[in-house]
Amino acid sequence: MDTTQLLKGVLDLAVLAVVSDEDGYGYDVVRRLRAAGIEEVGDASVYGTLRRLYSSGALTSYVVPSDEGPHRKYYGINAQGRAMLEAQRKDWQEFAGTMGRLLKTEVVR
Amino acid sequence: MSVLDTTDALDVAGYAAAVRRSLADLGPEQVDDLTDDLEADLAEALDDERHVAHGRGVLEQFGPPEEYAAELRAAAGLAPATAAARSGLPMGDPVQDARRLGRWTLRRLRAQAWWPPVESFLVALRPVWWLLRGWVVYQLVASMAGVSGWFPHNLPAFLVLVGFVVLSVQWGRGAWFRGSSVAWVATTANVVAVVAVLPLLGSAQDWLGDREAVYDSYQAGVLGGGDPQTIIQDKAVDGVVVDGMQVSNLFVYDAEGNPLTDVQVYDDRGRPVRTTFDNGFEQYWFPEATEPWSFVSRVDSDGRARWNVYPLQGAPTSEFTYDDEGLQVLPSGSTATTPPWPFAKAPALDDAPDAAIGAEGPVPSPTSTP
Repeated sequence: MDTTQLLKGVLDLAVLAVVSDEDGYGYDVVRRLRAAGIEEVGDASVYGTLRRLYSSGALTSYVVPSDEGPHRKYYGINAQGRAMLEAQRKDWQEFAGTMGRLLKTEVVR
Repeated sequence: MSVLDTTDALDVAGYAAAVRRSLADLGPEQVDDLTDDLEADLAEALDDERHVAHGRGVLEQFGPPEEYAAELRAAAGLAPATAAARSGLPMGDPVQDARRLGRWTLRRLRAQAWWPPVESFLVALRPVWWLLRGWVVYQLVASMAGVSGWFPHNLPAFLVLVGFVVLSVQWGRGAWFRGSSVAWVATTANVVAVVAVLPLLGSAQDWLGDREAVYDSYQAGVLGGGDPQTIIQDKAVDGVVVDGMQVSNLFVYDAEGNPLTDVQVYDDRGRPVRTTFDNGFEQYWFPEATEPWSFVSRVDSDGRARWNVYPLQGAPTSEFTYDDEGLQVLPSGSTATTPPWPFAKAPALDDAPDAAIGAEGPVPSPTSTP
């Protein structure tokens, strides 16, 4: 199955989850998503998602100066982002449970 | 591993610039927001990938900058780049708007349970549209050339129709017109065909209706311009016809113009000349009569009923009754009489027999048949 299509619907959730763990900058978030096993996500999709979540008020942003390289823009989660994350987490788990029952496989909770 | 070489740095800068160009329609602020860290992110990603895919360039790693930009703006929830934005139209591109509306409608429809079978049915009907589209374009071209009609009537026009149908079907199958330089021609033709198909079918319907009306009026003899109609019947009319009208009775006058009764009339082959064939069942109206009459036959010496004895005698239909066999008969007590004569006396003939040929009075005079 083309997981790229599946991912489109839950990229927000994945990005929120990653940022809620620890603040991060653009490529850092990509790297952590890949490390978590989400391989097929495009870099640009993650950057755009971060930008959109920030615009909608779910994330905060701040610039961290760097000694050797360029300044990096970090994103962090705020209260609204956490509320969104919780709501979407619940939706996802219900949906995953439904799909699991439909496909008659065990869903790890 | 943390320092990129010069080539990579140049590549990254060029790539980032190309991405920013693709986003230019969003305005400088948005572009800055979206691509703040672009060079740093690209460089870091490239550096990371060195471990797994040594020697890959920026293009191989990230794909065309236009696609990268499209992905970026799509994920950021911004509208895709439009021709309208580039040309600076404040209202937006109607074509893009229509496409968006179409996509939105399709999404809504696909959410409905009943839609998928309908959609697959419609998809199966697509070749019908391809044919219709070819015909519509032919019709438009033909009407511009002053040719009308559902289908061509000569070979060149027919070839033109076939040509349009082939073009339409080939495009529909995705075989031709894939190049962007000609695709707009096909798309325009498609849009024109969609717009024109209903009016065209409507006018074709009118045209067919006209044809039917013409045919009907031809049938009704209107097109003859008031000329006498020719009535063709598969069975010749039996009886006596005067001025196109079947006559019911004959009145016979002798040479002096006096009325004769009980005159037997035969044709040149000895067949009895009959005016009625209903054996007394029908009703006949005379000029200025107040009620219809029915006729009775005479009986010859052999006892056979004879209907060629003129004037036919009869009585008003109301006086008739039915006998045991269901035949219409005059009851005893009523007698058959001769209907009113057209005139009591006809003009007398000249003495000379030859002159009788040209005898024509102001009143048509029935000639007594031998």
